[in-house]
Amino acid sequence: MKAINNIILGAALSLLATSCGEFLDINENPNNPEAVTPELLLSSGLAGAAFANNNELNRFGSTVISVTAGAAGSPSAYDIYDIDGDDFGNQWRFELYGGSLIAFEDMIAAADELGAPAYSGIGKIMQAYNFALATDTWGDVPYSEALGGLENTQPALDSQEDIYKGTDQIQSLFDLVREGIDDLAGESTLMPGQDDIVYDGDLDKWRRAGYTLMLKMANTISYREPALATTIINEVLQANDYIMSNEDDLNVRFGTSQGSYAPIHEWTNVSTFAGDLIISTRFVNLLNSKNDPRLPIFVTAPTGSYVTIDNGFAGQRPLPQTSWSRFNTYVTGGGAGPVRLLTNFQRAFILAESVVRLGIAGDANEYYQEGIRASMSLAGLSSAQIDAYFAANADEVTLSGNAEEDLEKIITQKYIAWTGNGVEQWTDWRRTGYPTLAPHQNAGGIDPNQRPLRAQYVSQEVNRNPNFPNNVFPNVPVWWNE
Amino acid sequence: MKRVLLCYLLLLFGVQGVWAQSKTVTGRVTSSDEPEGIPGVNILIKGSGSGTTTDLDGGFSLEVGSNDAVLVFSFVGYTTKEERVGNRSEINVVLKSDLSELGEVIVTAQGIERDERSLGYAVQSIKGDMVSQKSEPNLLNSLQGKLTGVNIVGASGAPGSSTNINIRGITSFTGSNQPLIVVDGIIFNNDTDNTQNTLFGSQPSNRLNDIAPESIESVNVLKGPAASVLYGSRASAGAIVITTKSGAGLENKTEVTVTSSVNVQNVYGLPKFQNQYGQGTQNDFNNTATGSWGPAFGTPGFENVETSFGTTVPYQAYPNNIIDFYQQGRIIQNGVSIASGDRDDNFIVAVNTSLQDGIIPNSTFDRYNVQIGGNKKLNNGVKVGGNVTYVKSSSRNTLTGNGGSAFGQITRIPRSFDLVGMPFQDDLGNSLFYNPTQNHPLWSLENEYLESNVDRVFGNFTVGYDVSDWLNITYRVTADTYTDRRKDIARIGSARTPAGSIAEDMLYRSELNGDLMITASKSNFLAEGLDATLLLGQNLNQRNFQGIGVFGSALNVPFFDNVSSASVFTGSGESSSVRRLIGHYAQLALAYNDYLFLELSGRVDQSSTLPAGNNAYFYPSVATSFVLTDALNIESDFLSYAKLRASAARVGRDADPYLLNTFYGTAGFGNNLASITFPIGVGGANIPGFLPGARLGSEQLTPEFVTSYEVGGNVGLFNNRLSIDAAYFFTRSTNQIFNVAVSNSSGYDLQTTNVGEMVNQGIELELSGTVLQAGQFTWDLGLNFTRIRNEVREIAPGVDQSGIPGDGFIGLTPSIVVGQPYGVIVGNQMQRNGDGELLINPLTGAYQPTLAGQVIANPQPDWLAGLMNTFYYKNFTLGVLIDTRQGGDIYSFGMVDQRNGGALEMTGVDRELPRVLPGVIEVGEGQYVPNNIQVPAQTYWAGLGGLISESGVYDATVYRLREVSLSYSLPRRFLERTPFGDASIGFSGRNLWFFAPGFPGDPELNSQGAGNIQGLDLNGVPNTRNYGVNIRFTL
Repeated sequence: MKAINNIILGAALSLLATSCGEFLDINENPNNPEAVTPELLLSSGLAGAAFANNNELNRFGSTVISVTAGAAGSPSAYDIYDIDGDDFGNQWRFELYGGSLIAFEDMIAAADELGAPAYSGIGKIMQAYNFALATDTWGDVPYSEALGGLENTQPALDSQEDIYKGTDQIQSLFDLVREGIDDLAGESTLMPGQDDIVYDGDLDKWRRAGYTLMLKMANTISYREPALATTIINEVLQANDYIMSNEDDLNVRFGTSQGSYAPIHEWTNVSTFAGDLIISTRFVNLLNSKNDPRLPIFVTAPTGSYVTIDNGFAGQRPLPQTSWSRFNTYVTGGGAGPVRLLTNFQRAFILAESVVRLGIAGDANEYYQEGIRASMSLAGLSSAQIDAYFAANADEVTLSGNAEEDLEKIITQKYIAWTGNGVEQWTDWRRTGYPTLAPHQNAGGIDPNQRPLRAQYVSQEVNRNPNFPNNVFPNVPVWWNE
Repeated sequence: MKRVLLCYLLLLFGVQGVWAQSKTVTGRVTSSDEPEGIPGVNILIKGSGSGTTTDLDGGFSLEVGSNDAVLVFSFVGYTTKEERVGNRSEINVVLKSDLSELGEVIVTAQGIERDERSLGYAVQSIKGDMVSQKSEPNLLNSLQGKLTGVNIVGASGAPGSSTNINIRGITSFTGSNQPLIVVDGIIFNNDTDNTQNTLFGSQPSNRLNDIAPESIESVNVLKGPAASVLYGSRASAGAIVITTKSGAGLENKTEVTVTSSVNVQNVYGLPKFQNQYGQGTQNDFNNTATGSWGPAFGTPGFENVETSFGTTVPYQAYPNNIIDFYQQGRIIQNGVSIASGDRDDNFIVAVNTSLQDGIIPNSTFDRYNVQIGGNKKLNNGVKVGGNVTYVKSSSRNTLTGNGGSAFGQITRIPRSFDLVGMPFQDDLGNSLFYNPTQNHPLWSLENEYLESNVDRVFGNFTVGYDVSDWLNITYRVTADTYTDRRKDIARIGSARTPAGSIAEDMLYRSELNGDLMITASKSNFLAEGLDATLLLGQNLNQRNFQGIGVFGSALNVPFFDNVSSASVFTGSGESSSVRRLIGHYAQLALAYNDYLFLELSGRVDQSSTLPAGNNAYFYPSVATSFVLTDALNIESDFLSYAKLRASAARVGRDADPYLLNTFYGTAGFGNNLASITFPIGVGGANIPGFLPGARLGSEQLTPEFVTSYEVGGNVGLFNNRLSIDAAYFFTRSTNQIFNVAVSNSSGYDLQTTNVGEMVNQGIELELSGTVLQAGQFTWDLGLNFTRIRNEVREIAPGVDQSGIPGDGFIGLTPSIVVGQPYGVIVGNQMQRNGDGELLINPLTGAYQPTLAGQVIANPQPDWLAGLMNTFYYKNFTLGVLIDTRQGGDIYSFGMVDQRNGGALEMTGVDRELPRVLPGVIEVGEGQYVPNNIQVPAQTYWAGLGGLISESGVYDATVYRLREVSLSYSLPRRFLERTPFGDASIGFSGRNLWFFAPGFPGDPELNSQGAGNIQGLDLNGVPNTRNYGVNIRFTL
């Protein structure tokens, strides 16, 4: 009896005396790391940037700008100008701020710690690209206070004007790019390679992309701030270090297996939602009217003829779906993309427009033709084919000298060249009003008479952050468009 | 186990005496109802551990120490009686039957048995026969309508689907609000492991489904923190203490019990449909339209139409196309148990099976339980006990949810589509459906499903010893562990994964507990009539989880359901966690003359999940009970019993593991529109990528607390023929460990922090009694009523609303909102003028754009009530349970779909006539005229609102005939010549009738399953009506 007593009491006491510290020191997360190296964030940041431009915002842009037509789902709402605060929440949250922007923010911090300015430079250029996309789409957005994590969980909005131009407290997007370009020149302990799914670590190309981004942003604000735009464009021309060949395009490359596809390939050809979009009759008509040889390269015709519907058309969709005209492999790359974010043809058209509108030194017609040739060449046409097209369509490929007519030609050709990037097409149309687009059938939404000029703030963000105003509807122009 | 716990009871009443001489007392125990003797009555000599039980005739003989000895006579269903021996040698006792079960022994926290009268808090006890043989294999469902203060909602009628239970409201913003489940002292896992997105996946079971209702002896519900404080952190949402059957009460007989039942299930709660108009839009036929807005049947020119897959079919209504989609389900349950022994030495071996084929073709839930257990008092006085149960549960269920699932499509079937009469697939196995981007629901059932195979073992081992007559030491080890092997199949052609995918998941959970309990007990401690019991305990706890998943997509071999058929394996991985806790607890229970009771408890927990330097936290409770009728010596036929009780308690709760830091995870982008998951293959290279997680961690986390106050009373009237129990409680939850939603522009989505305040207050009423007793007819009635008000008072500085973690649609967010009850749904609200009238867009006649971020629905009911009628006549027993949920909202995708789609009966009424949406048009600043813009019926019904809109909100009030059971026990004289001891046959039915004034179907649905998100019916499975026959006999 006594022995048993002792055993039980002994066991009890030994348990009571268990060292709590060691027993409880087990809260190390075995599933997720607390820190990662910059190369693991470069790949994800670049893919996120591609998604932001190329996923739902592209379905919206391409549709609202009459390249595609909405056959079902959300695109059929976009097609009748119907967007609201429930749209693009994933783009805001997962692709921009909580995706590519925060990846680059952390990548820059990690790179600065490691003395790897090569990564910081790329990060800053890409952050500028994405902030520009955010503000061009939504207007005033969090910028100087954004991405702070615990430091600021409800960032204030900066006006689009301050984001582009900067203030004493706010670094302008242009300065952010300039800083990035400077970083690229620094001595770097770590150099990007395969993780750079754009340029495989070619920093010269990143520098050219940086200057080209400055051109694009200056071009965007050039109606509102012509003097500033002119200064910046001249600065870039001075540096003479921008994208000058198609090989320098800022292309985010994807893969040809499931789980690695560029978004536009998946939503065009693979996903359940492939039935949401069909090429617009208007787009086919536009290219046909110009005898444009890029039409069959840009758009499929599975039955031999183009099966399309008009924008806003409410009737029976053509059957079967396998007959539909969709984006062709020029755009989708069979999954590999690429997602084209900054291009040589874009640079040429920007300079052409700048000569016409801002009086930048240069030959507008030369830039214009360079743009068309760059696009046609990118589409796979040979020099001979391009020459033949130029010879047969001299009117189309030549500026006449009337500024407004020239602008329409430049932007319309830029629109054709940008096929597959609805965001850029939409921004150009908002700025210039070109190409001339007829209203969509059955237009509705908040204002049936106004093709959307911005996206409405995401409802979830309005709920979470009192700094966001409610009810800024899509018919209100953003600052550079006012 | 039970045997060990009994010692506490004995010690509680312990009286130490020195006996000068011993003598033998004999006598007989009879019932107040009948002159027959009661066999098996426990007779204890108060203050000693010894006693006896009565024989078959109610007789007994017992050696007592002295004339001062007090005998305690107790038996289930009778009032316990005490008799001082005095100089008598024969003591005959009449026990009063106790229909209201006052004064019964209740199993409380840590298995401590207490007299009901001593409790300062509410505990409700349910006997096993109230949950077994009730056409319901899920224990939680079979408790519906029977408990006060408890809200139970099943997910759906799918076999094995999970059931949510909340006791006394919701007390934690994001922690589990399911009560702690304890089975024979074993902390029993009741998780619902969702391996799929809850918006689109199949419904897994909550693991309490692994318990066979037939094995249950009793269920005790510990409602408030005061009741459950000894269980520590995890019981702050209350506890459900289940005791399984044993051989303890069998008087050394060996008994074999056989139970068997067969039930059928039918779909129930579908809305009514119109049958005048078929597929199309704007009165024209369209063979891919999801709506029934086509021409009226019989319209010339529309006699025959061509389907989208090229066949010509008559254009006519198929009135039963939805109901015929379902089949009759079947539940077959069988059980055999062999038990023997007495309180000290006993054993049980039991086998139970439940085989269910659901109302959805190919859906199943099968369960096999094998239990073996027993207790033994060794010659040296050491008591040992143990119990082990093995469970095998397996289920198969299809996908549900909006869009690409059978249940996402079943609400979009045009009235003219012959859903079950035509082939649903071609010769190659491709779906044939009107909508080319979706699949035929029958195709989905065959080709998109989740299989789950659970192997589970749980058990306990207890060793206890009475060191002296006032001191006992007991150590108990419990373990509960299971693996759930899942296979989630979406064959090639699935709508959500057209290239097909197979996910193999292996989930492993285990929990180990060691509890040392030292109990000291003294009678007449410090003062005459004051009994004191002190319990000191220590708990060591470890919980492990591991999930291993292989996710293969882009399948290469059709109908070959093995991951080796896949080409892409992104998304595969492993995740594990371990957490530990050390608890020390103490409880001092004082009883004064058996009418005034005071219980003081306290516990200190140290948790591995909190910051290392700051991981210990203490919480106390105090409870008191006062039996007025005894204290004041009231002996009245009217007021037979009156007790007042009050308690206050505070319970702390630790965090989940790994919340203290911010982590990175494998990167991925997109959703079912387009998505990538790193590593991605680019140009022949595999490129890895990471992203910061969505959640910001905090090194400053502290435990969260729930403080609760309760007052209540219990009154027995007319010799306890009528009993009333009332309680009011108030709980306040503070310092909540919560992932506050932050602006996404911060780069993150959530921030873990201690914030907030939430209160619950409620009233619980229980009334039970005998309405009528005439001859052999008795009508007993039990009424329960629960009203709980929950309010979120504070979330975080600058945050007045935040989403509840879980999968959600943007624009339809179950949320916590300051000033609102927990779990309100925040979405888009239509614009109204100052008078609450809806504003119409003068250009279109449709409603003005909605306002985002508004509270549009509250899923919490206003009150719940259940009415249980039990009729006894001769050997017949008839139970009828009616219950109601009043108020509360449900958000239904299905109804919106079917309304927008013109399928509901109401959309067929006056369809040719133009309609005007109710609302007003603003004609000047603050001036409104009624809307007069006519729109066609299709525009009207669509104009009411689409999937993510206020118009999906319905009042979920429902009245229900929940359960009916009729049983007949064969008279003993029939059985005398047979080997049978008892035999009974019964009929039972569940969900036989309901009435929902505010919803076109049955609103008792919750497609997100058990968890904190409630009130959503996002294309889930409808409910079922079950009925069947059962038998039970003993050998």
